[in-house]
Amino acid sequence: MTKTIAIAGKGGTGKTTVAALLIKLLSQKGLVLAVDADPSTNLSQALGLLLDDSKTVGRIREKMAEDVSKGRLSPTIAKPEYLFSKIVESLVESKGFDLLSMGRPEGPGCYCASNEFLRASLDKLVKDYKYNYIVMDCEAGMEHISRQTTRDVDVLLIMSDPTIKGVTTAARMKKLIEDLRSNVGKVGLIINRVRGELSTEIKKAIDESGLQVIALIPEDPDMAGLEMKGRPVTELPQESSLQLKVKEIAEGLRL
Amino acid sequence: MAGEFHVDIGPQYEGEVIRKENLYMEFGGPKAAHKFELATVKSLDEIENEKVEIIGPDIGDLKPYDEEKGGGSYPIAILVDVAGGELDKDAEAIIERRIHMFTNMIEGWYHMNQRQDTWLRISKDCYKKGFTSLRELGEIYILLYTSEMSIIEKIQVTIITDEKKIKELLPHALEVYAARDERARTLNDEDVDTFYGCTLCQSFAPTHISIIAPNRIANCGAINWFDGRAAAKIDPDGPIFAIPKGELIDAVKGEYSGVNAIEANKSLGTYDRVYLYSAFEHPHTSCGCFEAIVYYIPEADAFGVVHRDFKGETVVGETFSHMAGETSGGKQIEGRLGTGLQQLRSPKFIQADGGLARIVWMPKELKERFKDVLEKKGLYDKIATEEDVKNVDELLAFLERVGHPWIKGEVQLPT
Ligand SMILES: Nc1ncnc2c1ncn2[C@@H]1O[C@H](COP(=O)(O)OP(=O)(O)O)[C@@H](O)[C@H]1O
Ligand code: SF4
Ligand SMILES: [Mg+2]
Repeated sequence: MTKTIAIAGKGGTGKTTVAALLIKLLSQKGLVLAVDADPSTNLSQALGLLLDDSKTVGRIREKMAEDVSKGRLSPTIAKPEYLFSKIVESLVESKGFDLLSMGRPEGPGCYCASNEFLRASLDKLVKDYKYNYIVMDCEAGMEHISRQTTRDVDVLLIMSDPTIKGVTTAARMKKLIEDLRSNVGKVGLIINRVRGELSTEIKKAIDESGLQVIALIPEDPDMAGLEMKGRPVTELPQESSLQLKVKEIAEGLRL
Repeated sequence: MAGEFHVDIGPQYEGEVIRKENLYMEFGGPKAAHKFELATVKSLDEIENEKVEIIGPDIGDLKPYDEEKGGGSYPIAILVDVAGGELDKDAEAIIERRIHMFTNMIEGWYHMNQRQDTWLRISKDCYKKGFTSLRELGEIYILLYTSEMSIIEKIQVTIITDEKKIKELLPHALEVYAARDERARTLNDEDVDTFYGCTLCQSFAPTHISIIAPNRIANCGAINWFDGRAAAKIDPDGPIFAIPKGELIDAVKGEYSGVNAIEANKSLGTYDRVYLYSAFEHPHTSCGCFEAIVYYIPEADAFGVVHRDFKGETVVGETFSHMAGETSGGKQIEGRLGTGLQQLRSPKFIQADGGLARIVWMPKELKERFKDVLEKKGLYDKIATEEDVKNVDELLAFLERVGHPWIKGEVQLPT
């Protein structure tokens, strides 16, 4: 069985950071499909991989649409198969995990058919490659990825900063995501970049949100140094607080 | 099945994937500039039966993929030549496509793509078991072709890794592919028994189904007959499915019993007749995804076409989005047809109503995009655009002036 873990939350809350560390960790236990579904950021960088920008699913689809309208795509090469093969070509293969970048969401126009082909392609990819885990670094509300996969989400991690506004946004996001996807397993709240204790006001906001906090991640002093040197987050020392917390989260969720 | 081979062969290996961690080397694929696979039907005397020829360095001679240094990607051409009394040119594409399945049936081999994009991988385990020559690959192909396709009487396989030679042969392969595509483009509704249907848009147009036939691309332009066939094969119970076309009821208007039956069934009885080649009486339903709208202009007794990207007003004073609002929702609306743009190239495009010759207005951009077909039919100078006319009065004057064949009564409706 493939376990699907989605990481959502508003920008800057640490989704990509946590996703990258979780991917690295899980890749020691099984094969991981890492999905960068946030068009505004770059999971590949956090994982220390080079990504060719022309190889996002969004670009593949754009190019296919362009080729079709210009009559460049052979009429006999079926689009469902074409899309699948281009997606396989775009996978960045690494040790224990493959990275798939979704790229920009669709513009205006009709995408029913290409989303249908995409969903089928992603299902086939997961089936053929027999991934043990899928870790998705999502954009805020997950609308974009929702149209392109039909997979159930086993674990939804919502990230927030330690502010009241952050927590209420997280609660709203949970509702939105559950409306979009019929099947979401466990939902957990992660408060990131915590300095010291949480204030009583925030604790109250968390209680009212109905979200279950599964981890508080402290501000990690090692991050700034890494970023200054332009090194990927996966190079954080094993004993750094972020690494330890992510390990704890994975264990707590029995991943 | 294997016997004399170093690895096992069978359908159980078809889903096997070779990731980089288990990669020994690869042929073709995105990192190799030159690659292709080609099946050719020849005459019996042109073929030395069961011969396998390798031209260029073999697996054992080449440097494998290295985790640190990379590399290990090489050019390849696979030529399968076959002969048989019952074989004709049309079989070539089918035989060639089998390379994909047959390679994947080999334990430790992986195949992706087709034609000039072909991509093969051999795993480390496979190499370790002694699979060190492409000759073995060729021999396995011959075994599988002859045991699975009895129509093949003689076969020879040539595998080339010599880049210079591949480059030399590639243009010929590209010509063959282009010729095949050309034949596919001229496939007609008469040539097949099965059409395809799509109900993806029923979520917002509950009575809409797109009928997809060789002469009719889907409304959204995204699914042609070949795509429909592939999608229905992957998931026959999915939203894209096969339609036995049934009996031809009206050859001019394009009415088929099988299509009527599926329309009745999937539109929950709202419609039970569809004309595939007419915008009148029982036109195809329109969802909301169409690339363009064909709309009737009563004053000219002819049609205009407007596409989604055209933001201005059409000659009847309405914009695309205004018209789209009225045309969508899964209804059959006489004189209004949501359509895929490539449909303008179909020989059956509103053929019952006069075809392209009944079109009197379209945006300049469309006119340029379809210049080739319009010129071929002598219509390029006869159709008005937003640059020529602003309203219907001006349109009528324009048509008079240029002598549009429909207005002059030169267009014969088929019977
Ligand atoms: N626990 C932490 N301690 C210190 N810095 C952090 C921590 N978590 C994230 N960051 C930093 O915060 C910024 C935003 O993180 P990122 O993972 O890119 O967020 P998102 O993907 O949600 O937009 C980055 O500069 C990252 O290095
Ligand atoms: S418009 Fe396209 S996606 Fe919609 S029903 Fe027709 S074929 Fe399917
Ligand atoms: Mg991010």
